[in-house]
Amino acid sequence: MVWEGIVALLEILLFPGFLFLIALALFYEWVDRKFFARLQNRYGPLYTGPSGMLQPLADFVKLLSKEDIIPKAVDKFMFNSAPIFLLSLPLLALFLIPIADLTAVISFEGDLIFLMFLFTLVAVTVFIAGWSSVSRFSSIGGIRAGFQMLGYEIPMCLVMVGPAIAAKTLSISEIAAWQASNTAWFIWLQPLGFAIFVLCLLAELEWIPFDIPEAETEIVAGWMTEFGGPKLALIRLGKDVELLLAASLITSLFLGGPNNLWIIPPIAFFLLKTTFAVILLTTLRALFARFRIDQMIAGAWKYLLPLAILQMVLIQLGLGR
Amino acid sequence: MQIDPLISLPFIFFLSLLIGLFLYLIGRRVGASGEESTNKFSPYACGEDLPARKLQVDVEKFLIYAVYFLIFDILAFILATSLVTPGIFPVMYAAVVLMAVLILLPLWRRE
Repeated sequence: MVWEGIVALLEILLFPGFLFLIALALFYEWVDRKFFARLQNRYGPLYTGPSGMLQPLADFVKLLSKEDIIPKAVDKFMFNSAPIFLLSLPLLALFLIPIADLTAVISFEGDLIFLMFLFTLVAVTVFIAGWSSVSRFSSIGGIRAGFQMLGYEIPMCLVMVGPAIAAKTLSISEIAAWQASNTAWFIWLQPLGFAIFVLCLLAELEWIPFDIPEAETEIVAGWMTEFGGPKLALIRLGKDVELLLAASLITSLFLGGPNNLWIIPPIAFFLLKTTFAVILLTTLRALFARFRIDQMIAGAWKYLLPLAILQMVLIQLGLGR
Repeated sequence: MQIDPLISLPFIFFLSLLIGLFLYLIGRRVGASGEESTNKFSPYACGEDLPARKLQVDVEKFLIYAVYFLIFDILAFILATSLVTPGIFPVMYAAVVLMAVLILLPLWRRE
């Protein structure tokens, strides 16, 4: 009993728990930055570690050791707690996704809906972070984040439910297992859903076509303007963890999740597929230019939502499952 | 959900909060503390002398989007719980919900 408890604790803290997740998140930030730089004919991170691999960690430590400035006008409690929530919510969500095994650490019927709830909560926390730091740039960034959330959340939910209906379960681990046992990935069965899901994830990550809430050239740093030092370090680490969450969601919902093939451990497949997902997201980030907020909202309601409903109707009528 | 209290959702949420708090406190402990000045603690305003005050959110505009958001959220969850009986019935439910959007179109055009 005690031994089992120790094993469970090690699983939560080390592998595939917090330490592994944070290290992997920093690694994927490096993959993203390096690939993005190479697409733009730059070198990207170069000096810290082998080909700059430790640069995200170095940035994190440097930001962590800077002075923590809390402006006089801010709402202290929300301003201080928002960065911590922005790190811990995506970390919690990653425990629902199968990583090192065929089932996740926590897996129950309906965890897909819980995951949607966590995604919404992250967006709401972003709004609160912008709102509580009383500055016009932060407020505008927070309001934009709120509007953007209203735009992309519904298509994303509809599209995430698609694989669930086809696999007849609301558990992420079982959706991945269904794909593995039927050798049919949902990227082939529901390509429209996959495309919409990737677009919505770009909006969720606030990456370039949808980086409206933190548009540097317009509103300084958007909702992050007043955050600095350890708070900014936590926010940036949280964004990395969110990138890992997005990549692993693509993996487990649309790319079949971690397989169990021959003697190759499932984690190898997971790493391969998430790297592919990160590179896909980075390519899209490099391809596009920023939308305006009204374009983003109108596009989401006029095109993304009807397409998502169309995908749903197709699934209900028997296509794509 | 597992019965084991170690592998339960609230415990892991508590742990992840602790990790965030721990990192933040390390940062505060290690971080330098410079001189205090009034400019340092005033909000960022591109070097201009702007007072700190909250902007008013355009609630009316938010409300219109929020109503639509609510309708489609209900639609999403109706469809999410249609696992057992996929087919024509969820599509009909979706059509009923889309009727609500048609009824609310004047709200959209009001401006």
